[in-house]
This record gives sequence, structure tokens and C-alpha cells, in this order.
Amino acid sequence: MDNASWVLQLLGRLHPLLVHFPVGLLVVAFVLELVTVRGKQKGLREGINWMVYIGALTAIITALFGWLLEEQEDYQGSLVESHEFAGILTAVLASITALTLCRTLRGKSNSLLLYRLLLTSTVVALTIAGHFGASLTHGEDYLSEVLPGYKDVYVEIEPVGLLTELEASDSLSTIQKDKLNLKVRGLFAHKCYQCHGENKQKGGLVLETKEGVFKGGDSGLAIVPGKPDESEIYKRIILPPGHKKAMPTKGKPLTEDEITLVRVWIEQGSHWSDEALKVFPEAALALTQPELPKNTSEQHPLDKLIDAYFNENDIAWQNVIDDRSFIRRAYMDVVGLLPEPSAVKAFIDDTDLKKREKLIDKLLSDNQNYTQHWLSFWNDLLRNDYYSVGGKKPITRWLYNALMNNKSYDQLVTELINPVKGSEGFIGGVKWRGVVNASQIPEMQAAQNIGQSLMGVNVKCASCHNSFVSNLTLNQAYDFATIFSDSILELNRCDKPIGKMATPNFLYPELGSVEGKTVKERLLKLSKVMVQRANGRLYRTITNRFWDRLMGRGIVEPLDEMDNTPWSAAVLDWLSADFVDSGSDLKHLIKRIMTSKVYQLPMVNYKKEEELKDNYVFEGPVTRRLSAEQFSDAVSQLIAPMYPQVSFNPNGDDIRAIRIWHLEQEFGNVVLPQPGRRYFRKSFEVLKKMPEKATLLITVDNGYVLYVNGKEISRNTNWKEVDKVNIAKELKAGKNTIAIIGDNGGEIANPAGILFALKLEYASGEVVLLKSDTSWLSFREKPKGDWTSVDYDESHWEKVRNYSTGNFKNWGQLLDFTFKPHSQKMARASLAKQHPFMKILGRPSRDIVATSREEQATLLQALELTNGAFFNDILEEGAHAWLKRYKKDSKKIIDSLFQSALNRTPSKAEENIMLKILGEDPKPEQLQDVFWAVLLSPEFQFVN
Amino acid sequence: MDNINSRREFLKKMGAASLSAATTTLPGFSFLSSCAPEVQKLAATADSVILLWMAGGMAHTETFDPKAYVPFEKGVESKRVLSTFPKKPTVVDDLYFSEGLQSIGSVMDKGAIIRSYKSADLGHILHTRHQYHWHTCYEPPQSVQAPHIGAWIAKELGPANPVIPPFIAMGQRFTMGESEELKAFHSAGFLGSEYGPFLIPDPSTGLDSVRPPKGMSLKRFEARYKLYKELSYKSKIMEQASDYQRESLMRSMEQSYMLLNSPEAKIFDLSQEPKEVYDTYNTGRFGLGCLLAKRLAMNGARFISVSTEYEPFIGWDTHENGHTRLKKMKALIDRPVAQLIKDLDESGHLDRTLIILASEFSRDAILEGRPGKKVKDQVKQPDIIEHEKHYGMHRHFTDGSSILLWGGGIKKGLVYGKTADERPCSSIENPVVIDQVHQSVYHALGIHPETHYEIEGRPFYTTPDGKGKPILDLFGKEMRA
Repeated sequence: MDNASWVLQLLGRLHPLLVHFPVGLLVVAFVLELVTVRGKQKGLREGINWMVYIGALTAIITALFGWLLEEQEDYQGSLVESHEFAGILTAVLASITALTLCRTLRGKSNSLLLYRLLLTSTVVALTIAGHFGASLTHGEDYLSEVLPGYKDVYVEIEPVGLLTELEASDSLSTIQKDKLNLKVRGLFAHKCYQCHGENKQKGGLVLETKEGVFKGGDSGLAIVPGKPDESEIYKRIILPPGHKKAMPTKGKPLTEDEITLVRVWIEQGSHWSDEALKVFPEAALALTQPELPKNTSEQHPLDKLIDAYFNENDIAWQNVIDDRSFIRRAYMDVVGLLPEPSAVKAFIDDTDLKKREKLIDKLLSDNQNYTQHWLSFWNDLLRNDYYSVGGKKPITRWLYNALMNNKSYDQLVTELINPVKGSEGFIGGVKWRGVVNASQIPEMQAAQNIGQSLMGVNVKCASCHNSFVSNLTLNQAYDFATIFSDSILELNRCDKPIGKMATPNFLYPELGSVEGKTVKERLLKLSKVMVQRANGRLYRTITNRFWDRLMGRGIVEPLDEMDNTPWSAAVLDWLSADFVDSGSDLKHLIKRIMTSKVYQLPMVNYKKEEELKDNYVFEGPVTRRLSAEQFSDAVSQLIAPMYPQVSFNPNGDDIRAIRIWHLEQEFGNVVLPQPGRRYFRKSFEVLKKMPEKATLLITVDNGYVLYVNGKEISRNTNWKEVDKVNIAKELKAGKNTIAIIGDNGGEIANPAGILFALKLEYASGEVVLLKSDTSWLSFREKPKGDWTSVDYDESHWEKVRNYSTGNFKNWGQLLDFTFKPHSQKMARASLAKQHPFMKILGRPSRDIVATSREEQATLLQALELTNGAFFNDILEEGAHAWLKRYKKDSKKIIDSLFQSALNRTPSKAEENIMLKILGEDPKPEQLQDVFWAVLLSPEFQFVN
Repeated sequence: MDNINSRREFLKKMGAASLSAATTTLPGFSFLSSCAPEVQKLAATADSVILLWMAGGMAHTETFDPKAYVPFEKGVESKRVLSTFPKKPTVVDDLYFSEGLQSIGSVMDKGAIIRSYKSADLGHILHTRHQYHWHTCYEPPQSVQAPHIGAWIAKELGPANPVIPPFIAMGQRFTMGESEELKAFHSAGFLGSEYGPFLIPDPSTGLDSVRPPKGMSLKRFEARYKLYKELSYKSKIMEQASDYQRESLMRSMEQSYMLLNSPEAKIFDLSQEPKEVYDTYNTGRFGLGCLLAKRLAMNGARFISVSTEYEPFIGWDTHENGHTRLKKMKALIDRPVAQLIKDLDESGHLDRTLIILASEFSRDAILEGRPGKKVKDQVKQPDIIEHEKHYGMHRHFTDGSSILLWGGGIKKGLVYGKTADERPCSSIENPVVIDQVHQSVYHALGIHPETHYEIEGRPFYTTPDGKGKPILDLFGKEMRA
């Protein structure tokens, strides 16, 4: 630095002092000026004038000194530029204001208005300049960090306590040194990782690891143990903020205490602790065992806890809901169906004091409906579906049986992690043909999915680089993923190998070792490590999810981030511990929640969705919208079955017939069949001793005529219906022939297929099954001659094609394609494959884990419900059936509709509105509209 | 309900609705950063985008980047065949297209061509995986659901006309092969289904999607909605469920009613077009899609895609008979695409509408994948061609293909990049990747290149890590020297 510049530098540093003159003077002048408006307080005039003059003068000097400071001390950056611009503007405006005032006073201008406007703009500019200036010295989040809702995700670094402790002792113990080191590293994480972490490595410096810290960066040694003044880090953090070399360049500068902390650590020899640094808050793994409050009149353990919570938060208990609302809520939550009007009546009339608990028990023991409702929850969570994108293996049958048998949660998790037959798909992962990003290899997907679904921790970030939102590192993610891999994985950072090999380890190594020679050995160990009681996090995560299902909002939110603070740790951990104590019985957990008074409270009205996010206080359950499946099932129950075909038929017999059609080709490729008629034949032998029974099942998309030995037996144009026909009488010993006219509807090429099965049962006990398969023959044109007869010469016919595989496999199974009695009235939506209607109502595609569904109603949804042909056809079908059933009695129809859809009788007003539409002689379209209005009404759409 | 006042009221509500929707996810540029000046406002050169999607892999050497023509004759070596069509001049000097695309060639003075697009190297070829990548800019699988480019645009710009859904996808049915894979990217992903595509599989019946259900008179439709409202407002639930839930439901129902009952619905009605116009476009579903796209773009849709339907081995996915089938494909697109450009130009809409014609990758007679990274052949191609069915581009080629662009600020008559004239016909000048294509679209629409939302605790950008850059050379008025 040359001799002259110290003066300039000194003047520059006077800038922060001088700045207070224009700020004080001009603002006060402005306030006083306001007081004098309309000629009041005239005595102030003279004082104001001087304040404006001196204010303007000091503004100019301040701006000048500010510029000196910038030049001398290498300030730079966009914030500095903004401050500079606003400051100069202030000086210029202040000068013009002063001049204008001067002119006005000299009588050259007769209005104070211009001057006043100028003064106002000056003060505005001044405020802006002041704000930027303050942001420079105090940090940009100085103001915003104290605002409600501002969340600093890091654990707070509080150096003061430790510093006082250290000052008090002469020499530091190892424990104290460890503490000091962890504080300093916490500070690094807080202030430096953003640029100097393993992810970014600015200036070649990595402060995240021991090696990195002591290696230093491009500017030399970051730390010289014992010598703060030679340590690049210390030299940089003590520079004035805004200095070219000052650190940190982003965010708030370090406080005095923080700087002292770093200095003391270096002075004391820069000890490095072996302990892992936890920068972000992390929930303890083990469950606490909260005591139930004693001074409460509540009986149910949950209510005791909530009573204490309500007291603390000054919330009053509301009365529990009435029987009518309760039964609807309970049905929807346990079995996902509407209660029949008769069940509602019986429940209301029941005088048993324990009837609510009895109802919950009854519903929970309805295994089939319980399973078919909760299946959707588990399918979402375990990203299981009936089709496969990228070769993912379904686990449906295993999952279905697990729910039917109420498999305990620890067993369920054990089998997901260490697969048994049928549950391999969960850790199997999606593998698209070709090359995938390193963070998306199946092993890493397993790690991500177990993390998210079962443990409530985000492994996705850490599978690419050290996480920015949790303590998880790339290393941990790879250690976890390697458990599932035949060969030890090499770490990849952002898809690039870094030459470091993983060692198999669970995310929380403190729970136990998972080492093993083979994948199988490791999975066995992992499953044991995961389900042990010490891993309370596993149980807490599912408990929280179930609470969310039944109450509308989790105790911790988001549901996948279990390190977040619960609104009541006591409720969450008590419930989780109770769940573990029950042998992790999922139905016990549901019952425990549902029998509480808390579950039976009326829904809380929230004005805005945000009220459910931060700063949430529990007051009671939250209204939920019917899920895609619940809505579909309710419509199937009330109006007409929505999905005739399922993708998984738990009750079907395993016939395995395939859909066949005439082979249709274009340029040598198999294509979708053109509309029109095709002709099919199949001959078979019957033993001399005729079968006692001969039953056939047939359905053809879109319609058919069936002949047996030349005689027409049945026909149907509704492919949703499976016809079951006894043809024992038509058969004869020797050769018999089935002939079918198949009709493909529509105007363009579209799927078509015959699905056929014939069971011959002989007295001997022998059973012969004949199915539609590729041995059938077909013909494109109407055949000449008696083509349905046994003796017809079929030698010029072609072999049919299997239209159930490959690109044509998107067929469902018709529930009634079974020789068992046709008993099921409707297929549950959970068993049907994804349908555009359900998709639009929020059923996710299960390529990835989905743990919550969109609640927001959208225009596309409303359009589908308002004019979608699919939904309207169902309503129309239902309207015809209802008119027949109730013999066009409008009143009866209205009453029945209200009873079954809303579980109540209509009010007089409601009845009148409906009657106005239906009239004396209701038409199908009128009833269809009434259905529509009721099904779309909020009362029907929400679980209340 | 159908007087002017209620219409104005409706527009107001729609505005409020989109505003409230905008606050549901955490936008990358929020109030908190408003003190920092890094967000510059971009000047948009386009208001809407039409994507003409050549699904199945369109060979550049057979279409917009012809190479040496080798006519068919028995015994010709496969490796000699670079193009199976002669080249034809276009309206732009020195720009030649393959035979059968003369109409499109005649409007190239209004647009530009990128001849150096390189698809991603995803190993073994799978169409839907490349299509996913093209439409979302992310390679599948992803650990969160990546949004379609149309969904990003719908989210960022919202509807230009409140009664026209901002993102409309036409021409693709989801009932055939690889349908689940197709659905995986026809999605708004984590942005929420509100921004998802309004699907019109068959453009000739587009009107059905925006008018009262079949067989329902307008009078009945109105009466039905009135009944719904009366019933809903009488219900005790109006005092129960949370306000925001109820409002969201009622609002969506009202929006839908307004759209279905609005005169704007006739925009979807192709019978409004004069017969000769209709006939010009009508080469099939794709052509009619172009016609509907024109009507929608003129009336405020933001992102419209018109796809030649993807079905394995059909359409552009020529595994054999490539030459014969391409004649048909060219006939399918040539006239309607050219007419679309002309019509938008004449009506003055071309200036603010960006039109893109692209495909997931190209094809070649010999190479599968890309040079040096050959992957498993999916087609048997004989060394010597004895039969016409082996004459054509039957393998998937990812190292060079063409993208056509018109309007929305795109330079007129520009030829950007080039491919080698000898096999492998790879991009050899100014290679372009998908990130650049997306960012160029966002650039034209004035969407900031680092637009992102937070999902599961991390930022998710329009292009991976927000690093994509637009190709600024594509924009501007002047012709290339």
C-alpha cells in the first residue's frame, strides 16, 4: 500500500459512520415536512430547511466515501453494485431536493409540492440504499431469518457456551477437543460446504473431510495447526465482509464468537474428532416410552395424551360425531366401501355402548374388503402395479395374501428385504433396456425405496452426491446399495466413478453389521437389523403413515421425512411403541387409533392448505377427498360396476386361457385387428363314455355367435359379460366342433379377442379342459358352405394368433371367467389396472414410490367427470337399472339414493329439487343427471 | 349464466384460480430472493408451441438431410445405400430435401433446420426411453416423476385463454404396445396433474372432449349443473370440510362447466373449417391434428403436440420395407405441415408461434446406435439386398438427425449444423443435444433457464441441474449469409 492511500482508506472507512447523518436528517426532515402539510406547524419550517441542506451535503460526502471504500478495499458483487447505485441516486436526489427547496424559498417557484415529491423520492431511495447496505454488513437474511416461517435447516451453532467452558479450563481434555472440533466442522458445514464440499470443491478446497481440510486448496494450506495467522481459512474469515478475498462470499459473515472458535481450534492444534458430524437434525432411532398422563379423565391412552396436548395448546375438546357420520367414516377407512342403508339403520338402532368398537372389529375382520381397500395404500408405498415398466416384477399375490392373513409388520418387512417367493419385486427395481445413470441402478433403487418407504429417509439425493438436506453422504448411500449387489459397487459422484469402493453397511450402522459373503447372507442380516425394536424409526414411520390415512395429516410431515419434528413426539412414540408391543399388528394399530375419541372428532375446517403445513397445531382430523379407488368403488356399489376386468383376480380359478384372434398383419408385422367379422373353428374329441357335465365360458370383444356342431348355442354383444353355458346335450362321442363368429366393433383398428374355456367332467373323475389357444383356426372372409359343421373342410384356414402377449397384453381378467358360481357383483378398483379415469382422479403410476396423493381438484378431473364418456356410460347403465328396480317411483328413488350414497334421508328441500327434475315419469337421462349431481356434490366427494 | 357479466366474472375467477395454484409448489424464484438482482426478465418471442412429433425414429437421410441416392436394384450392397430417394430443391438456396417433402420445402424460407441433433446414448435402443428423454429432458428411470416439457410450459405460463387447456396432446392412443412407457412421460410428473396433458387421441373427434356428453342437449346440460349447485349449496358439508378443499372442488367444477358451455368450444370443431381447407389437411389423423393445432394455437393453447402415432414397427418405426413405407409417411405429413405454416403465417400468428418438427432419433441401413458404441442389432439386414423389403433405413441411429423450426422468433432460412455426407452420417458441425432444444423453447417463451421447483428437498430444473443453454444463433430476423 503506498503512502497516499492510507488517507483514502481511512476516509472510506468513515462511510459506515457518516451514513447515519443523511439517514437521520433526511428521514426526520421528511417526517416533519408531513406535519407541516396544509400550513400547520409553521414554526418547523426553518429547522426542516437546514436539515435538508445538511442532509443533502452529507449524502454527497457519504456517497463519495462509500465509493472510496469500494475502490480501496476491493468490494465487489451484485449486492455492492445495487447499494452503490441506490446510494448515488440518493445523493443526487437529495441535492436536487435541496436546490428545489432553495428556489422555492427564494420565491422562484410558488409551490412546495415539487420539493415535497422530491423529498419523498429521496427518502425512498435512501431506504433502499440503507437496506442494501445493511444486507452487506449484516447478511442478506438478517431480517428474513426472524420472520415467522423462516427455517434454518441446520442445527444451530452456538459457540458461546463452549467458548466460556474452554476459557475456564487450563488445558483441554480429549472430550473438549472433540466438542471443539465438531463445532468448528458444524460451522464449516453451515458456512463453507456450499462451495467447499465434496460436491463443488471450489478452489480445490474440500472442508467436508479430514484429508480435505489438512490438504488445503489452490491458495495453500487451509489450516496450519497451532498457527491461526498462517492458516488461509483464518486469514480469510477475519477480512472485512465484501473484501475480494473475504470468506464466506455467500451468506452472513462469521460472528466474533465464531471467528474465535476457529482461532481457538487452530491454536489448540486443530484436533480432528473421529465422531461423525451431524449437521442436520436427526431423529433418534429408538422409541422413547412416553408415560401416559395421569391427571386426566380420559380413558383411551391416545385420548390421555391428546388431552395433555390440548391443555398445553389451549384447545377444547369437541363432541364426537354422531353414529351416522361415524359408520360412514369407519367403513371408508377400513374397507373403503359405503355402508348399506340397512347397516346404517341397524347401527343407529343398536343400544350397545360398545357398538363403535364392535363395528371396528367387525370391519377389520372382513378380511377380503379390508385387503382390497388397503391394497392401494401398499401398492403406492411399495410401487407395485399390475403392469411393468422396465421389467419390474409385481408382488401382488404375496402382498394380497399378507394383508388377508394380517401378516405382522416385522414379518412383512423381513420378507420385502429378504425376499420369499413372490416378494422379490420390491428390492428388484426397474431396469430399462440400455444404460442407466449410476444413481438409478437397481441396487440403488432398492436403497432409495427402502429408505423412503420403510425408513422415512431420503436416499435419493445422497445416491448422486452428499445430500444437501440431510446428513447422508454418497458413501453411506453406496454402502447401503452394495448390500443388494453381487459385486461390490464403486462410488459414482454425479454419474462419474471416483475410484472408491463401497463396503456393505446399513444407513444406520449403529444398529448392527450386515456383512456377509453373499447377497443372501447380507439380506438376511439386513432384515434382522431392520426389524429389531432398536430400529424404532421403522415402526414410527409406518405408524405416522397410518395416522395420516385415518386422520388426514401425519404427526410428522412430510411423511417421508421422519427427521422432521412431530407435533407431538409423545403421541407418535407411544403409538409406535404400542404397535411394536402388539407384535406389530397392523390391524391393532388401526383399531387403537379408531377407538380413540380423537378419531371420532368432527373434521377441522382449515381455510387454507398452508395451515396444514408449517406451524401446524393438531385440533382434530382433516377432511379427506375420496381416493380414485374409493370413488370408483362407491360408484360401482351404487350405480353400475365400473371396471369389469381386474388385473389380479384373487378368487379366480387358474384357467389361463388366452385371447385369440385372426392373425392380422401389415408389412409382415402383427398389428391391431381391423373392425369386422372373423370366423373361428376348433374341433375336439369326446370319449365314448359321454361327460356328465360340459360347461363352457365365453366372452368375445366385442361380440360373438357360438355354434356347437353346427347349432347356434348362444350369442352376446357385451364383452364384459362372461356367458356360462351347459352344452352336455350338444356333444356326441367322437369329433365335435366349436365354431364362432367374432365381431370386432369400432371404426379403426382396435383390440379384439376370443376368450373361451370348456370343461368336460367325466363320471370317472377325469376332467378335460379345452381353452382358446393357438391351435384354433380362423378365416378372414365369410366362409362358403356349412362352415359350422363338424365335417367342413378347414384345411385352407389359418392358425389364430395369441393376442394376449407382447404389445397386446393389456387385457384384464373378467371376474366371472370362472367355473365357480358367478357371485361377485363388482370388481374392486384396487384390483383393476390403472385406468385413465382413476389416473385423472389421482391414482399414481407406480414406477416410483408414491406416499401421498394429490388432494387438489383440477380442471382436467372435472372435465372427465362432467363429460367423459366412460363415466357417463356408467351413469346411464345405472339409471336404466334403477328405473327397473324402483318401477319409476321418483320418491323411492330419491330416498334410496340419499340413503345409500349419503347415508341419510333427503331434506324436504332436497327432495323437492330432485322431484322437479325427475317428475312423475322419470326418464333414464333425468335419473342419470340426478346421479351425477349427487356423486359430484362435496358431501359425497369427501370423507367427513 | 351466459351473459357478459358472468363471463367477466368467470375470467376473474380463473385468474384467481391460477394464482392460487401457483402458490402450491415452492417456486424457484420466490419473494425471498427478490432483493438479489439475478433474475432477469426475459423478453418472449413466442406465446405458444406446436410440436409435430415424428414418433418411431425418422431417418434424416430419407427426409430432411438427403445423402447420395442409390436406386433399388437386386444385388445392391446395403452399405452403399445412404438414401433411397433422390433429393429435391427447396425454396432456400442450396437446401435440399428428400423427394416427397416438396411442400415442406416450399415453406423453409419461413423457418430453420437443425441438421445436427444428437440423441442421448442410452445403450440398447428402446423408442419409449428416448421419447421420454426427448419430452422431459431426463433419462429414465428417474427417482421422481419428471414433467413433460408441455407441463413445464403450462405451469410457468398458464393458459393464455382461460377456457383452453394450456397443454394439449393429440394423435397418440394408449391402448397399444409400450403404452405404459408412453404414459410415463405424457405426464406433468411432480408438478401435479393440473398441468398434465389434455389428451385428444383422435383430433377429428376433438370436439367431443369439450362439449356436453354425447346425446346431452345444452338445456339439459345447464339444468344438470344447476341441480348440482343447488344440491351442493344446500348441503351441511358447506359448513364442515375445510374451505380450501371445498373451494378447489367447486372451482374445478365451475371451470369445467364454463369450458364445456362456452362458445370457445367450437375451436375444437373441425367442421367449422371450409371443406377445401379440411381436405387439404386431411391426410389422416396426423393431418387433422395439424388443422386442430392451428385453431388451438390461434386461440391461446400454450403447448400442443401432434404425433404420428407411435406403435412398435408401425409409422416411422420401419424395421423393413423402409423405402415403401416412407413414401406413405411423407404423404402423411408433407401437405398438412406446409399448410399449417402457411396458414399461421397468413393470419399473422406465425410470429408468436414456435413450431417444431422432430423425432426421437434417426435411422440407418447399417449402424445400430452410434459409431463406436454399437449396440445389439434389432433388425437383420442382409449385406446384399435381393428384395425390396430390405431396401430402406431399418436400424436405429442416434448420432445425427434433423429438427425443423418455424416462427416464434426463429431465423428464417437458417441451416444450423450438418451431418457427414458419407456413412456414418453423424453430426459433424454444431452438435445439438436435447437440453439445448428445450432451453431454446424456453428462451423463446421467456421462461428463465434456471426455472426449478423443490421436490423432496432438492431442486428439480427444467433441464438437468439447470445447466442447459439455448441456441441463440437460432433466433433473430436476418438470413444467414
